[in-house]
Amino acid sequence: MEPLHSPLHDRHLALGAKLAEFGGWSMPLEYAGGGVLAEHKAVREAVGLFDVSHLGKALVRGTGALGFLNACLTNDLQRIGPGRAQYTLCCDDDGGTVDDLIAYVRSDFEVFLIPNAANTAAVVAKLQAAAPDGVEVTNLHRQYAVLAVQGPLSDEVLQALGLPTDHDYMSFVDATIGGQEVTVCRTGYTGERGYELVVTSEGAEAVWDAVMAAGEPHGIRACGLGARDTLRTEMGYPLHGHELSATISPVMARAGWAVGWDKASFWGKDALTRQRAEKTVRTLRGLKAEGRGIPRPGMVVRDGDAEVGEVTSGTFSPTLRTGIALALLDPGTPDGATLTVDVRGRQESFTVVKPPFVDPSTKEA
Amino acid sequence: MTPEDLYYTEEHEWVRLDDDVAVVGITDYAQDALGDIVYIDLPAVGDTVEAGAVVGELESTKSVSDIYAPVSGEVIARNDALEGGPEVVNSDPYGEGWLVKIRASDDDPRAGLLEAEAYAALTRA
Repeated sequence: MEPLHSPLHDRHLALGAKLAEFGGWSMPLEYAGGGVLAEHKAVREAVGLFDVSHLGKALVRGTGALGFLNACLTNDLQRIGPGRAQYTLCCDDDGGTVDDLIAYVRSDFEVFLIPNAANTAAVVAKLQAAAPDGVEVTNLHRQYAVLAVQGPLSDEVLQALGLPTDHDYMSFVDATIGGQEVTVCRTGYTGERGYELVVTSEGAEAVWDAVMAAGEPHGIRACGLGARDTLRTEMGYPLHGHELSATISPVMARAGWAVGWDKASFWGKDALTRQRAEKTVRTLRGLKAEGRGIPRPGMVVRDGDAEVGEVTSGTFSPTLRTGIALALLDPGTPDGATLTVDVRGRQESFTVVKPPFVDPSTKEA
Repeated sequence: MTPEDLYYTEEHEWVRLDDDVAVVGITDYAQDALGDIVYIDLPAVGDTVEAGAVVGELESTKSVSDIYAPVSGEVIARNDALEGGPEVVNSDPYGEGWLVKIRASDDDPRAGLLEAEAYAALTRA
């Protein structure tokens, strides 16, 4: 199947993007004149603009929509009110993770979801199959674009466009820019202060152009999904397909904070509750290189000769200038322990650490 | 960008021959495909290498690629500046970003190498 194109595809071609397939979409990996290191640095020190329109969009609407979702997804939507967003997970009955997603609550009647590109159809189908009469679940994957403005100078860029910036982390506000309706969400996947702008696909190019123009005096860079991956790995944020999957539960990924354990029910509750109590499953930890090895997904982690885990994501940290990894490790492995990662036959030493590897600044006022 | 005075391999390396000494690097095409290079493992001076054998590796933010010996012989120098500044392979692949120098043991080290025109055709295909 031919990969899908973002509504911003022509902008990426004009900027000399190197494209790669992500969840069935042809998206920018990095841009000409940039590259992962320069784009990563722009987000940590100034501001970067990402097209993440491959992310799914779905609307759950109708009487009891919020209550229905709350009985399906792991996190507790009663913890937040209208205008707030929440990180949550969609699990199978066995606790395996169908997807992790963000739920944007507009009211008890209407919740907007942003799942991962490759899992949107599965999440929508699962919700549709379970939805009671009067609650409608609509897949809007192609109807909306998502632009992420991320970095310490993102407020300056939004303010220059007359967009709101005084709302809290994990909240959203509707606004307009050049006549286009935009939902300005203070969310992101980089660990920096920043925003995700949800706009109709038709309006995406105008918003992209406006943000790039407003960001020019602040050193804005178009950033690809290569930098997005190094940025999120430094934060220890899980990526579905690596740290979460049908066989990696939220308990294993240490995403228990995004589970409403006291709720009467949600998909996978029994299995997850058991895993949480038994503490026999591998859990997600951080590994930081003591030498020059760069870990990669699938590499085996050992304590002496004993295999104790596996790397799920690994890269060179542009901020720390060293190799870092997220890895599923056997229970009981202490922080600070030195383990080895088999890097193509070389046994490289790594220290077990608690992510994030780099301090986030998402919540700063 | 394929300098005329160099020889090339199908593994996207270049070779500058000066009598029996071969200076080796990776091509502009290779550095662009790899992306930002962050780690380089080079053979030691004094190592004997066989043409076509893996002698080291280049790692970018997103992937790893082997370094092959384009000619047989003895490693007589390596670019130690790359340890602290591997990005020079991206910015100047045919100059400051050279990798190793090999004293070729074959009578004609050009045998098995590609001329610029043939290499340029390879990367256009």
